[in-house]
Order: sequence, then structure tokens, then C-alpha cells
Amino acid sequence: MGMSRIECIFFSEFHPTLGPKITYQVPEEYISRELFDTVQVYIITKPELQNKLITVTAMEKKLIGCPVCIEHKKYSRNALLFNLGLVCDARTKTCALEPIVKKLSGYLTTLELESGFISNEESKQKLLPIMSTLLEELNATGACTLPIDESNTINLKLIEQRRDPLIVQEYDVPVFTQCKDHFIKSQWDLTTQQILAYVDGFRHIQKISAEADVELNLVRIAVQNLLYYGVVTLVSIFQYSNVYCTTPKVQSLIDDRSVQAECLSYVTKQGQKRACLRDVFQLYCGLTPGTTVRDLCSRYSQQVQRVDERRLIQYGLMKGLIRRLQKYPVKVTRDERSRPPRLYTGCHSYDEICCKTGMSYKELDERLENDPNIIVCWK
Amino acid sequence: MYIHSSSFDLQGERKSMYKQSENRFFKCGEKTSPISVILVTSGSRGNKLLFRYPFQRVADCTSSLTTKQRSPYALNTTGDVLEDPDGDSREQTPLTDEQLVAGFSDIILATILATKSDMCGKKFELKIDNVRFVGHPTLLQHPHTIQVSKTDPSPKREMPTMILFSVVFALRANADPSVISCMHNLSRRIAIALQHEERRCQYLTREAKLMLAVQDEVTNMTETDGSPQSPFRQILPKCKLARDLKEAYDSLCTTGVVRLHINNWLEVSFCLPHKIHRVGGNHVPPEALERSLKAIRPYHALLLLDSEKALLAQLPLDCSPALVRLIKTCSAVKNLQQLAQDADLNLLQIFQIAAHLVYWGKAIIVYPLCENNVYMLSPHANISLYSPLAEAFGQQFPGHDLPSMLAKFSLPLSLSEFRNPLDASVQEAQLIQMVVWMLQRRLLIQLHTYVCLLVPPSEEEPGLLRDEELPLVARVGGRSLSTPSALSFGSPTSSDDMTLTSPSMDNSSAELLPGGDSPLNRRMTETLLASLTEHERQVILNIPAAQSPEDLRMFARLLHYFRGHHHLEEIMYNENMRRSQLKTLFDKFRSVLVVTNHEDPVISLFQSPLE
Repeated sequence: MGMSRIECIFFSEFHPTLGPKITYQVPEEYISRELFDTVQVYIITKPELQNKLITVTAMEKKLIGCPVCIEHKKYSRNALLFNLGLVCDARTKTCALEPIVKKLSGYLTTLELESGFISNEESKQKLLPIMSTLLEELNATGACTLPIDESNTINLKLIEQRRDPLIVQEYDVPVFTQCKDHFIKSQWDLTTQQILAYVDGFRHIQKISAEADVELNLVRIAVQNLLYYGVVTLVSIFQYSNVYCTTPKVQSLIDDRSVQAECLSYVTKQGQKRACLRDVFQLYCGLTPGTTVRDLCSRYSQQVQRVDERRLIQYGLMKGLIRRLQKYPVKVTRDERSRPPRLYTGCHSYDEICCKTGMSYKELDERLENDPNIIVCWK
Repeated sequence: MYIHSSSFDLQGERKSMYKQSENRFFKCGEKTSPISVILVTSGSRGNKLLFRYPFQRVADCTSSLTTKQRSPYALNTTGDVLEDPDGDSREQTPLTDEQLVAGFSDIILATILATKSDMCGKKFELKIDNVRFVGHPTLLQHPHTIQVSKTDPSPKREMPTMILFSVVFALRANADPSVISCMHNLSRRIAIALQHEERRCQYLTREAKLMLAVQDEVTNMTETDGSPQSPFRQILPKCKLARDLKEAYDSLCTTGVVRLHINNWLEVSFCLPHKIHRVGGNHVPPEALERSLKAIRPYHALLLLDSEKALLAQLPLDCSPALVRLIKTCSAVKNLQQLAQDADLNLLQIFQIAAHLVYWGKAIIVYPLCENNVYMLSPHANISLYSPLAEAFGQQFPGHDLPSMLAKFSLPLSLSEFRNPLDASVQEAQLIQMVVWMLQRRLLIQLHTYVCLLVPPSEEEPGLLRDEELPLVARVGGRSLSTPSALSFGSPTSSDDMTLTSPSMDNSSAELLPGGDSPLNRRMTETLLASLTEHERQVILNIPAAQSPEDLRMFARLLHYFRGHHHLEEIMYNENMRRSQLKTLFDKFRSVLVVTNHEDPVISLFQSPLE
């Protein structure tokens, strides 16, 4: 709501003698004569622009409206033209308000067609208190439910726009960003409910699909949906043979007190005293290319006493403090007659290959180590 | 909402061989390209659309007879591909951008884009459904006065009728705000040039007349012959301005670099950073670029992305000689300070020119190449066997393949280690060239060592997070070692620093103070350590190495670097110390220091896109 604060709601129409004018606006006098003169061509528009969402920026203000035209012989000039719009500051992001404007224009059109709500001078006056309520409630809570008459109610809600999510691969591991119990499970769809128990931050998509007995693509879609709403984030499969390294963000553990507190409580072993910052930071910094998690645990055995290393890695990945180094095999030389490599092209990681072929890491390692034509890149 | 593909089979994924392996985001190329460019004017003859590109389909041509409501999503029933061979230079997608704008007739565009004069001189932004129009309407003269120049040499002098004009770009509505800003910038630049030429020789009026004449001609022809034509196609060969606008549009859609010569006289140049700075399929936002540029230091180096010759050939004739000198003198092994000396320019100029080259995508900032540099494969590097990079590498360095070279950098490798060739046939100089080649293509990142002071907690309550465990940064005032481009040469931020040692670029504090265990030094050390807690101080003083006053003094002096934000090379530069000195110090005090290696976040922008 802070982002899309509505400064004013206005109702504009084409008066048969006076032409385009603002009939009502809340708060009063917000739109100056000057401003309206400048933008009226975008408010009461030519036929070609009717029913389109129009946002115009002028004089430090943004006006969003949807011009409506209802043609009928009963109207003077044979048509009724009006536009119920919103005004915001020019710097506001207004994408979330657009569906609201569109819906409002739809409501008013229906009301006019059903009962002449707007063309009737008496009922038109009801618009003013309606607009006041709308302004207040949308700014306060982002939602508004307002009965207009016996048969019509306005229901509006500001919906936040989110970024498109990543494509979810079968070797990705979904992990909840907050405690699982935080969510009301009955609100989610059936597929998601079925897989929720298996989303533990360690099972990857393929495994969840097998264990929950849900088709792979459905699991993918369900997780992608959770990703869209920020309920889960994706990390990679955990194995003790994995290799990680630090990113510049690891310093946030030192700089940011809230990250520190969150991290230490997340990674401490169950039932143990809280791990200390120094140990945890040393562990993260001990992750370097060439060092496996197993190596880390044996090298820093004292530090790892109060720390659950799996959750340590999980937290580090979720917050971007560390990143996984994946292995990519590339077949650099081959016989002219043999087929071109399908998976050993540098585009598919071990995670992916093992998932697709069912091989274990060890098996894949053995197979590739003995092949002189294949080199492995880590990144 | 998002759209997902439901075909996850291997066949489909074979296509990913040819794309960036890390590109799991939806392609955003369309969001940074304009859909259309439109020129409108307003004058005594009313509002007119002079030119638009790409052309509409013939069937959509403005027809004053039908005023049907056109949905921008309505597909034309006579076919779904634009017939114009030169109307479109990009691939079609099911819902084409052209169709979004094609739904608007010339007349309606003229009405909505040619604004009132009080909107002139400012950014114009209008969004209609899924299309966003951005421009900079420019006033040519006061609407109520018409000036006639008595000294005008042109033969036939008419009363000028044009009051204002606007070059408008149509974009997809979900374009990034920084892209919209850039397009507005370009519109403004073109407007300035046109305004100038109009005042000088009525260039715009003349071109407008030509355009309108062709439009009238074609309309007449349509009415008599009945064969519809696009007037804009006829305008192109006759009007230089139309060709310029088409060129601007085409360039924006492809390279992102626009260079026009309005009236063959005034140059308008512009670059869209979103097209130029693309790493791993994502664009680098200009604000991030600017932030990085402000943070570069004199010890950084400028690495040109083109060869010196190619770059010099791209410069205009009247370019600054300083720029030429810089390009000729710069090298990957020279830092900016040295470059300033060699090119005989002051450091501020070097910074400005370097920033300019980086902005235009002609160079990147790196740490100067030297033996001790440690490089590793970038997480965003394309290591595919079939990538165009692999091919280019094979051509540049015959007999070698890129994946094998990249595999060597799977573990961090210093330049000196890399130069001990396992394979004797490779020459050392060529190895360096390979590294430079890989850096230019963002395949490698450089790792630096960062140090953080973390004292083992006291025995009483080791697990709790008390105030004493607050990192140093919260207690010691942050001293930002800022760069000249911010016009402040290493200005200290706290008055404490003024009395002790201020890092400046050309002198080192180390040598100024008398050596040995003088009372002055001891007091200084004490003051420096005073910012620590009692517990921390105790632990440090108990370290065997702390018994040596020299070592302790050095440690105390460098204390403010031990927050994990300054890498080894920066400390070396600021304090004029040798790498071995620092490494020895770290080793001596290792019980209270935690060391880690990662890329420098300031310049890693050039290797990895922002999350």
C-alpha cells in the first residue's frame, strides 16, 4: 500500500453543453483547471481509445483512467461518455492499480445499463460518498467491499505484482523460507497439500515426486507456484561430497546483526547451546574450492560440534552467503565416427546427469575418470 | 502471471546446448527494445503524424471511412506475418509488438502524441493498455507569435506553421523504468538536434513538408487506383529524417548503439546500457553500473574489450585527444594511477574517461594483471562445447580448445601457476593472451583475500550474542576510502583519523613514525586498540606475536581493515606494504583473524548480473 498511494479519485464526464468536465473529485479541488485542460484528451477520449486503460503523466501527477462510452438514443448526443479515474504522484508505481480502474469502469457500466445509475442525476450523487470510501479503504488496507444497491457490490483488492519465477528443475531442492507451520495448509491446492510434507529442504523434486506419488510435472508446477509467492526458495541437493565457496555476501554475517541472529539460531544443533558467531563464520570461510563438506567437518571438528552442517549449508545457500560449485563434464575430443555427446557438453551438471540417468555420483565419477576424452569444469 | 513450458524432454533441452547454461530466466530482450518510433507535429494545420516505423500492414492503413474499435490483440485474418520485407527486422512471436501498436491509427496517434504546448520541454509518458509511449515534446516557437527572419537566404520564405514536434518511442508496457528513462533521453537528444537545425535552416519544416506531400500523394492514389499502399514506405527514400529515425529504431533493437547525423551535420550518439551490458542473459541495470563506477580505485586497471585499432577507428573525428591518448597507453597490466602518469593526464580525467568507456561497453574494470592474481571460472561462464565462444577461441588460438583451458581454472589458479605450462608447447606470452581473452569475455573472476577480526569468545557465556560480539564495524566509525571520481581523495570520515594516520594515495603512514618502542608509538597503539572491548584487547595482547611492539603496532594500525571489506591488494596499496609483510602478519595473528577468498563485489558487477 505504501507504494501505490492514491491521492485522488475523480469522476469525469462529457457534459452535453459544457463538454469534458470533472463532475466529482475526492478530495475536492485536487485536480487543477490547468491539469485537466492538459490531460482531458486522455480522459474523455475519441472512440478509438475507449475501454482502454490509459495512464498519463503530467505536472508531477499520474492519472489512470478507463474511458467508457455507452451509445443510446436516449442520451443527448446519443452517447454517454464518462471516466472514473485515480490520481497518484508521478513517481508512484501504478501497475497494481490498473486492474482496479478497469473493474470500476466495468461496475459503473453495469450499473448504468441496469438502472441508469449515472444518467439519473439523483443516483449519480451517490457516487461522491462511494468515491470517498474507496479512497479511504484502498489506501488503508488495499481492499474495499462496498454495496452500491440491492443487487450490486463492489469488491476490489490491490494485488502485488511479483517477478516471474525460475523454471524448476527435477534436481532442485525446495526449502521453506519460513517455518512450515506458519502457513495455513488448507488454503493451498490439493497437489501442493499432498507434497507439502515432503518439502523438507533436502528432498529434490524427483524424490518428492516419487515419494509423494505425484506426477513429476505437477510437482514442478506446484513448487513453481510456491516459488512465485516467495513461500519457498530453491537450493541444490546436499551431499557430503559437495563443494561450495563463499560469496561477497558472506560478510553480511558480520555486518548485519539480524542475519547473525537468524543464522545462529538456524544452524545450531537441536538441543545444544547456541553456536557462536566465530565458529559459524570460520566454517563458512572454510568452504573453498576443492574442499568437500566432509573435509570441512574433519578440519573444523571443534567448530562443528554445536552446528548442524546440513542446515549450515542450507542457510548459506538460501541467503546467498555461499554458492555451490557444480561439476560439468565436457567431451573435448572424440572419434569422428562416434555420435556427438548428448550430456557431456558443458551444459549439464553432475546433479542433472545423475538425476536423469539414475546413476550415483560415484558411478558417474568412475565412468568419467577413466575416459581420457572428458574433462571436468567446476563452476 | 507466468507462462511455463510443459515440454521437459531431452529433445527440447538439446536446444539449451546453444544457450547459456545458466539462463533460466525468461528472455527479456523484448523488454529493452522499442516497438515503434513515431514522429508527430502540431501546428496551424492541426496535429499530424509525419512518420512511423515499422510500417503498418497495408490492411491497417488509416481509413477515414471505418472507425471500428480495434482490439490490439486482434489478429489479421489475411495472414499473421507482416508482408513488408523491410518493415520488420526481428522474429515474430505469437502476439507481436507490431500488432500492439498497429492497432492505433495514424490519426489517433497524432491526437494523443502531439501534446499541448504546456507539456513541452518535459518528459512525456503515456500508457495505453500494453503500450507505453515516451517522448520529449519540443516547442519550436511560441504558439502565438510567428517570427519571420529578414536575413534568411533561402529562396522561398513561407510562414512557419509548425509549433511543436515530438519523437516518440513506443515500448512494451512492462519495460524497465531505466529503459524508459533511456528512451526519453534519446528522444530529447534527437529533439535538441532537430530544434537546432530547424532554427538554423528550417530543416524540420522542409522534411515535414516532404513527408506530408508523399502522404497526400499516396492517399490520392489510393482513392483513384484503389490499391492501398503504405505512405511511409514511400517516404523513406525521399526523406533523410525518416531514414535516421528508422536507423535509430533498428539500432536500438539490435546493438543498442545509436549514431545519427541529423541533416548530415549534427551528430546524435546514444547507447542503451541494457543492450550493451548483458551478462548471462540478464542486463546490468544502469544504476548498478554507475554505483560500481563510483567505487573504482586508482589501483584498478582498464581492460579494453576491443583491440586498440578497432576502438580508435570507432571514434569520431572531433573526439577528445585525451581519449585517444588514454586508449593508446592503456594496458591490462597498468593501473589507473600509472596510466595517468604515462598518458600525462590527471587522475580525475582518467577516471572520467574510463567510466565513459565502461558505460559504452568498450572496456571493463579489472585488477591489473600480475603474477599473484588468482582467477577462477565464473559461475556464469558459458562452458558449452558448442558455444560461439568456443569457436572463436579455437580460431584465435589454434590447436587449443576453450573447455580444456577453462577446466584449468576450476580450482583457483594464480597467474604464476598457470604460466608454468604442463604442456611445453604453449608459450608463456600466449598464455597471458588467453587469460586476457577470457577476462574480456567475462569467463573468469578474480579472487581476493579478505580478513575479518573475530576474537574467540570468553569462557563465561560463549553462546550468547552480547554487545561485545558486535562486529567492529558497529563500534569503529566507518572510514570510507572513496575515489577521485566522487571528487574526494580518500577523505577520512572521523576526526580520530585526522590525528593518526590518514590513508592517502601517495604517501604511506608507515614510514613517517619513528620505529621502535618509543612512548609515542606505544600510546598510539593503545589508542588504536581502545576501540576494542576489554576482552578482545586481552586476547590480542596474549598472542605471542603481540610481544613484539613493531608487530603489534602494525596490527593496530591495520585494525580498521579487518572488517572483511578490504582485500589484501587494497591494504597493500593504501599502506604501501608488501604482500609478504601482510601475509606474515596475518599468520602471526591467525588466532583472532578469519580469512576468506571471494570476488571483489565492486567490480564483480562486470562478471555477474545482480540478483
